[in-house]
Amino acid sequence: MTITEALRITQSVPRDARPFAVTLACGFTPLHLQTFLAAHLQQALPDRRVTITPGLYGDLAGTLESIPEAAPPDGLVIALEWPDLDPRLDYRGAGSWGATATNDIVASARTTLNRIAAALLRIPPGPRIALSPPTLPLPPLFHTPGWQASHHELTLEAEVMHFAADIAQQGRIAVLNSQRLAEQSPASERLDLKSDLYTGLPYTIEHADRLASQLALALIPPVPKKGIISDLDDTLWSGIAGEVGPDAVAWDLASHAQLHGLYQKLLASLADSGTLISVASKNDPAVVAKAFERKDLLLRPGQVFPIEVHWNAKSGSVARILETWNIAADSVIFVDDSPMELAEVAAAHPGIECVLFPRNDYRAGLAMLRHLRDRCGKERVSNDDALRLESVRQGAAFREQASSGATPESFLEQISASVTFDLAAAGEPRVLELVNKTNQFNLNGTRYTQPDWQKLLSAPGALLVAVSYEDKFGPLGTIAAVAGRADGKRLMVDTWVMSCRAFARRIEHQTLKMLFRTTGASEIEFRFTTTAKNGPLRDFLASLLGEPPQSDFRLTRSQFEAKCPALYHEIREMRRAEAHG
Amino acid sequence: MDETRQRLTNCFQVVFPDLPPEGIATASTATVASWDSVAAITLMNVIEDEFGFEMDLDDLADLDSFEKLYSYLQKRHQVA
Repeated sequence: MTITEALRITQSVPRDARPFAVTLACGFTPLHLQTFLAAHLQQALPDRRVTITPGLYGDLAGTLESIPEAAPPDGLVIALEWPDLDPRLDYRGAGSWGATATNDIVASARTTLNRIAAALLRIPPGPRIALSPPTLPLPPLFHTPGWQASHHELTLEAEVMHFAADIAQQGRIAVLNSQRLAEQSPASERLDLKSDLYTGLPYTIEHADRLASQLALALIPPVPKKGIISDLDDTLWSGIAGEVGPDAVAWDLASHAQLHGLYQKLLASLADSGTLISVASKNDPAVVAKAFERKDLLLRPGQVFPIEVHWNAKSGSVARILETWNIAADSVIFVDDSPMELAEVAAAHPGIECVLFPRNDYRAGLAMLRHLRDRCGKERVSNDDALRLESVRQGAAFREQASSGATPESFLEQISASVTFDLAAAGEPRVLELVNKTNQFNLNGTRYTQPDWQKLLSAPGALLVAVSYEDKFGPLGTIAAVAGRADGKRLMVDTWVMSCRAFARRIEHQTLKMLFRTTGASEIEFRFTTTAKNGPLRDFLASLLGEPPQSDFRLTRSQFEAKCPALYHEIREMRRAEAHG
Repeated sequence: MDETRQRLTNCFQVVFPDLPPEGIATASTATVASWDSVAAITLMNVIEDEFGFEMDLDDLADLDSFEKLYSYLQKRHQVA
């Protein structure tokens, strides 16, 4: 991106777009970093107007300490550099570089890092925070020649790494990956000394752009993909199972098939983090079943569901997998070693991301593994992530039994279902994650940043209910959320989402019943917008209202009670703190 | 309007979007409030993007009006 392109991006936003205020804390003149950061964030938030407010020059810790607790910004970006830890590390500074200074610099840096950590701790929940550890080389002030790291230099770096590890562990601050940044912005091309001395901006334009790009990703990360559908032969393993036999396909070092083993390990790791993994292969089912019995398989068979193995088109397999998972094609990646198969699936499922497995190209293979991690990686892994595959598997069993002869009423009556309403779930990351990734049962499609979510929940009369479900097939975890505002006997619902995994269990009816009961409301006002994907919710609402809503609407208690079918759930109400206690 | 003048005008429009078109030709640090040191560096970089050469930060202080920048660009063009 050039400066001109960045300026054009920031200037193209309608002035009346809702603002997204970001504080940029850095000790230097932010100049192009500010311009590029605004542009990259603007691209990530096209319906917002990003505004960047730079902090105090030469006082990064002071900038953090001066962030108002009552009205923090929507986002906070911290571009830490060595001079922020001690002014003697600044090329613009007048301090000496002598041997006596170096001990003191290390001690001073430690003190400043503690001060920054304390300032970060007192920032109230709400703003997203991204931090980049120092990106510029240390000045040549240590006694060792440049090719040798001095004790002081290593100690300084260790202090920064400990600081970064501590704040990353807290889970609230996204710390930039220095190695990834180094790949995009080589260390030798970062410092512009003349610019630093003349203007106070130490970065080359290219480095400012690349650092801003990574900081924007850390502040507004893309929504992770929900599932990966993989081919088998020459993809999950090396070799054609139907030709060489299930015992001869390989994924190990000795067979020069380690790339397939690494791919299996990555899929297993993603599955552990809640990414759904499935298989679509043109193959003999009996042969594949034998291969999946092998004890040395690195992706455990239990981590893969469903398995589509036959000789028909893969687009059909993908369609059935998407139906079982109940998610849209644009949430999924399809991996295959055959460009023809990728093209066939891409044509049938617009939006699906197709990735070629590069069999004999190790550089491309590593790039693919990293790409899959980037597309599916998550900031944190919750208990609900661990439950996801099991709940999909149980959902399939649920549907199979539901359609196997018994009447819907008798089936629902016999599954020992329980619904838990958590009335104190505001701090649960899973709830906002659910709101931001649910499409089909979504009242209006509104996506929230963390600060917007906090504002919604801190409004007078704010109400948030997280809904969990369990039946004899197993737990589905947290599968729905309702957020709104109660005003006397009126209840306004701003957000209502439910995971597609929870359809057909009358949880939505039970949720409405709970809202009427706990708030005492005689009617509920819904902030409804038709979206391209919320047809299932629209159909449900039509069943209550007599016709689908076109915009905001009201539902009275008597309207609901007249249409509500029999409900068989056991009801539990709790506050999350109780569960943890 | 010659091509260099037009391209420089485009650069001013990018850096000073609130400046009316008729005010660009007479713009200077004295007449444009938002033309501060930060804007001067941004303008320099936008001109570098547009004309494809690097400018020297040492020249920045003297290039304080549209006309001076235009003359500077004409000289660079002649040298090239």
